[in-house]
Amino acid sequence: MAVRNTEHRWGAAAQLFHWLIVVLIIVQVTLATLADDLPPSARKLALLARHKSVGITILMLVILRLLWRSLNLTPLLPDTLKPYERFLARFTHAALYVLLFAMPLSGWMMSSARGFPVSWFGLFTLPDLVPKNKSLYEALLTTHETLAWVLAAVVTLHVAAALKHHFMLRDNVLRRMLPFTTTPGPKA
Amino acid sequence: MIVMRSAAAVRAAAAGLLTAALLLAPWTARAADAPGITHYALDPAKSSLEFTFMQAGAANKGHFKRFQVAFDFSAENLAASKLDVTIEMNSSDTGDQERDDTLKGADLFAVTKFPQAHFAASQINRTASGYEAVGKLTIRGVTRDASVPFSFRTVTENGAAVGYMSGKTSVRRLDYGVGQGDWKATDQVGNEVAVSFALRLIAH
Repeated sequence: MAVRNTEHRWGAAAQLFHWLIVVLIIVQVTLATLADDLPPSARKLALLARHKSVGITILMLVILRLLWRSLNLTPLLPDTLKPYERFLARFTHAALYVLLFAMPLSGWMMSSARGFPVSWFGLFTLPDLVPKNKSLYEALLTTHETLAWVLAAVVTLHVAAALKHHFMLRDNVLRRMLPFTTTPGPKA
Repeated sequence: MIVMRSAAAVRAAAAGLLTAALLLAPWTARAADAPGITHYALDPAKSSLEFTFMQAGAANKGHFKRFQVAFDFSAENLAASKLDVTIEMNSSDTGDQERDDTLKGADLFAVTKFPQAHFAASQINRTASGYEAVGKLTIRGVTRDASVPFSFRTVTENGAAVGYMSGKTSVRRLDYGVGQGDWKATDQVGNEVAVSFALRLIAH
């Protein structure tokens, strides 16, 4: 598989970004859910520290991913799409990118507002984005949680669309993001 | 008559005692003191006692809002100099209510059982850069030898003798049992806690 994208297929690098971020988002949801149920404790601290480190990792990956995207072709949407579907696809993808920035940034800001500096796996400490402020912290906590639900909704839409393309429209939209598959040219 | 006489006698005796006490006071005070020693007491409003700890890989700060310091000092008579610090553990403040509550809980400071930490140094040594106080540090009921380096300078402010003491040291929290159960792990909360102080002391 080529590293770079073609008109009909995502290259290895784009696929790696996509699936790595999928896995890390699942890790994030798991860590946050586990931590949420705990009283203040060393274990909660450890889970949240990892949640923050993984979140910052996602932020770094998204920056790289967008850079890579800007240096590459973007595979075309199938010709069969109606204009509203085309709009919906573009909107969903844009929303996903925005959320992939907004989630870690709101989390990072929330940590700063709480007065807890964010460390990336204990290797380095990130600068505080906002000054310590209790009401700002509470607002950012609500924002972070709300964005998580928005992300869940958009991901659902994204997955549903991918499955519709694969099983109902029978085009290569899902296949071209999957490793170990071959994609013929555009759907005949 | 008897009552009146008795009252007068009591007054006289009291006056006599008071006079004696007043006359003796400077003498007894001097007798208790070693030559040249000055007593210093804390100016709480202009003093700070801070601690810095690693939490989840990042440095976090806290301070104690209430502590007492008694410092008896003479640069010419270090043998008779001594330092005594008592810290109200319940006054610890890390700027986060949830964290403060956790910190005061049974697994960490355990403030209900051990309300105070105490440093008593009866040995003050001169060092290359200032002084060090050598004594016993008690935290959470555990007493260990400790030595705290500090600098000390005196100035006259509005006619009063004032001393400025500052320094930093570090404490390994687990040496004192600060961290039971899960909190014994040092990956999230570091064992090494840096302590720094800047005190304004007023001579008496």
